[in-house]
Amino acid sequence: MSTGSQRGGVAGSVLVPLCAVSGAIVLAGFFFPGFIGETVSGEAWLTIALVFFSSGLGYLAVLPHSSDEEGALPESYLLRVRRRGVREMLRGFLARQELATLAPAVVLFALFFLLQVALPDAVSGVVGGVTDAILSVGGPVFLAAVFVSVCYCLFLLLGPWGGIKLGGPDVEPSYTLPTFFTLVFTAGIAAGVVFWGPAEALFHYQTPPPYVDAAPESSAAIGGALTYALFHWGLSAWSAYAVIGVPIAYFVFNRGAPLRVSTILAPFLGVDGLDSRWSTLVDTLAVFAIIGGIATSVALVSEQFLTGTSFQWGVTAGRLGPVLFVGGLTLIFCLSAVSGVHRGIRRISGVTMLLFGLFAALIVAVGPRTFVFERGTQALGSYAVNFVPLSVYLDGQWVADWTVWNWSWWFSWAPFAGLFIAALSRGRRIRTVVFVSVIATSAATMAWFLILGGTSLFVQHTGRADVLAAMSSYGSAEAVAGFPLFEALPLSQLLMFLFLALIITFMATSADTSTLVVATLAAKRGLAPSSASIVFWGVLQGSVAVAVLLVGGAGTLQALAVLTGGPFAVLSLVALIGLTGTFYRHERGHTSVIGHVRNRLPEIQTHPDLDPPDND
Amino acid sequence: MSDSSGGPVQRAIEEIFYPADRIPLVEWREFSGARSTVSLTAALTLLSFVTGLSNLSQPSVTLAGPLAGLLPTSLAVPLARFGGVLFAFVLGILAVGLQRRKRIAWLAAAVVVPALAVLPLTTLRPTDIPVLVLIAITFPLHVRNRDQFRQSLDLSSLQIASLSAILGVVLYGTVGSYGLRDQFGGISTWGDAFYYVIVTIATVGYGDITPTTGISKWFSLSIILFGTGAFTVAVGALIGPAIESRMAAAFGNMTASELTLLEDHVVVLGYGDVTESLLEELGAETELVVVTPDQETASQLNTEGVNVLTDDPTDESVLRDARTDAARGVVVGSDDDARDVLAVLATRNVDPDVRIVAAANEARNVEKLESVGADDVINPLEIGGRLLGRSVLGGDSRSLLNEISGNADDE
Repeated sequence: MSTGSQRGGVAGSVLVPLCAVSGAIVLAGFFFPGFIGETVSGEAWLTIALVFFSSGLGYLAVLPHSSDEEGALPESYLLRVRRRGVREMLRGFLARQELATLAPAVVLFALFFLLQVALPDAVSGVVGGVTDAILSVGGPVFLAAVFVSVCYCLFLLLGPWGGIKLGGPDVEPSYTLPTFFTLVFTAGIAAGVVFWGPAEALFHYQTPPPYVDAAPESSAAIGGALTYALFHWGLSAWSAYAVIGVPIAYFVFNRGAPLRVSTILAPFLGVDGLDSRWSTLVDTLAVFAIIGGIATSVALVSEQFLTGTSFQWGVTAGRLGPVLFVGGLTLIFCLSAVSGVHRGIRRISGVTMLLFGLFAALIVAVGPRTFVFERGTQALGSYAVNFVPLSVYLDGQWVADWTVWNWSWWFSWAPFAGLFIAALSRGRRIRTVVFVSVIATSAATMAWFLILGGTSLFVQHTGRADVLAAMSSYGSAEAVAGFPLFEALPLSQLLMFLFLALIITFMATSADTSTLVVATLAAKRGLAPSSASIVFWGVLQGSVAVAVLLVGGAGTLQALAVLTGGPFAVLSLVALIGLTGTFYRHERGHTSVIGHVRNRLPEIQTHPDLDPPDND
Repeated sequence: MSDSSGGPVQRAIEEIFYPADRIPLVEWREFSGARSTVSLTAALTLLSFVTGLSNLSQPSVTLAGPLAGLLPTSLAVPLARFGGVLFAFVLGILAVGLQRRKRIAWLAAAVVVPALAVLPLTTLRPTDIPVLVLIAITFPLHVRNRDQFRQSLDLSSLQIASLSAILGVVLYGTVGSYGLRDQFGGISTWGDAFYYVIVTIATVGYGDITPTTGISKWFSLSIILFGTGAFTVAVGALIGPAIESRMAAAFGNMTASELTLLEDHVVVLGYGDVTESLLEELGAETELVVVTPDQETASQLNTEGVNVLTDDPTDESVLRDARTDAARGVVVGSDDDARDVLAVLATRNVDPDVRIVAAANEARNVEKLESVGADDVINPLEIGGRLLGRSVLGGDSRSLLNEISGNADDE
């Protein structure tokens, strides 16, 4: 009997009744609001709906996969765990961990929270100062790293090196293109895309960036606002992932390096020299960045989620609410990560993508189509024309607060997203990897920001609803932006439910992947992480999130995690230099896209009269 | 792995990130089969029922949909009120028919499912949206799987006779009582006439409509006699076969309709010493059908909940009944190697492509079984003997098992 079906059985026997009962109550409330709707309080509704949704996602994750039946490895693994006591298990767990990576990360987080409890003001003061300094001094570095990344990705896409096949010519990709895209897209982007979709353009509309020469809240500011939203979430952002991911993938699959972030140093240290102190440092930094980034995102998202529900329905979650929310979220992403890429992670990503598409389609259906289309195409054109100037524009505090902060954020996620992209790309050409992880993903985010941003600008500009006023009345402004917007559209309740569901699934899909990636990073070289270690890292992320909520200092920890983007911005440049050297020495004879096009036209090109036969 | 330099590293990555050869985003095959069509129809039935109840519970009817203007109010209002629940009953019957792969159920569903869309498109309350979405998913699946539903209704002559008798009586009664409406107290429209006939046949007889003349009394009597008679016969003719199939099942035989439902199952031909543990191994994973000529084994297996066909496993027509052509694989494992050879031959005649695994009772028969078309032949006694040998010398019998399964992987 496979572990898959057994685990599905145990978890299923809890999750299925839970899901069925809560689902029945939710459905009853939906269909018979008159009888049942008013007898249950808002808090209870929120809880029941969340239980329904999370148990459904959890069950989806633990459902067995058709390939598990033949798997002999999980079975032997299960026997191993069952036969041991707790101490034995702990010893076995530690034996599989790279302690040099595990210990510093755990100690760093403990230290941070101790300091945060003891001297909260001092810590946030210091971190705030460092952040400001790095963002303003390091601004050029971030801009340069991002711009170089975009150019490099374009070169990989069109140039000859795009033809390199990862894993050698005989390897077939395991993931179909839609799976690849969905996994990369949902992992690389967290719930931020949901909150910021309607909010980002509004912020730039309210206070136009210095590059955009327009009066606040004017019609002229709309174009600039949309262009900046595209710029902050478009090609530049996703290129940061690809420039970490492609070098890792190449050295792992074509040179036999381990699947680590430190593998980007392989051209300098050699594949066999990757046990050095430098690579440990890089991996530890990566683990810190991933956990810090994900945990603060989880904490922030849960607060934003509950802020949103309290804004819209007046449901007060209290102090315990966010903690329970984080607990539930942790449960989902742990289940999903343990069940594997092909089960939980793939299925929840699929659900996310479905909801994402459905939501965007609904907004298009009920929203101001002509306005979004006209302004959107204009913004796209302006994005294309102004891309280079925007990329090198570095003037004033605004750019440091928005663009540089944003780039740092994306770079701090790059170790995790890049490693995941690398892991999935075996058997694909580099060109395909870049196309999926940069072009396709940014096309999806850009469409989203045009649709949601355009709609919210329309609603605000025509005065259908005053979204900005609602935002300014709340501390975390981007959390509430969606609700007054949807209120002004038809099918508002449905849109709000989808919106909240999207927040949960987007967060879960990022957190489950990050758990798997951290567990892989922290496992001993050559060993796959056991389920116990995946759960350990998942729970660690969840507890850091809970600690952030209880101790406070989410902003400070987030600033710290985002700051790790700095080293990775520099590292990405280093990686690109190393990769270029390696490609230049070892990868000759691939054909560029232009070459492919030329080969397609043999009749015209090789006419004997025009083209003397100089090549065999 | 082609890359030998990073052996363990590659294997570790393999384990985590490449659990299967091919990982599509959605396993369409699992979701798009005839089974999903049936389950979706059942889900639609339930949802339509709940939506209908929800509409009924509203104090007033809302007609906000795009079709509301096109339908006359006299039709739209009752549709909005009762449509959902009524459609649900019809769909429920159709779902049962679809589950038996009946062609006529498919034809009816192909009309009823899109027709159900009229209801949410008329009212368009927020609660109607799920029904609309589900219809949009179900209907394409119906069309896609049209070839899967080709069982004819197969009514016995008695069933046909009684059903047409009911139809005839209703027609006769309706037309007749409308024609004689002057001689009835209370009939003035076709609706009244139909209502009178149904109330009479069902032996309810409220008495609000009564015959007033001699002719109409005789006419009413004829309806009562023929109508209730046909009604009773129809009930017997329709329910009788169901009871018969229960009886047949008790003796270890699957009914024809149960057999048609089999898909992607494993057929086990013959019941021998190895079959018991085979059933335990496979039972949870896939659907099984055991074909054995032994009546006693059959009824015993049947009480354990295993599908059994009590018949000769070397007979091609029996193998066709067990739907060997739709099976995932066939296991041949009786205690008699000679019969096993015949069973393999018969199976190959029925389906040249299906995977056949045979258990040889004697080592010298392994090749014979292979040469008549078995894809894989296993000799349980030999494996057992080798395990015993290892075990008595203190070796780990598990390693032998790994060896065997490893060899199987290499091949």
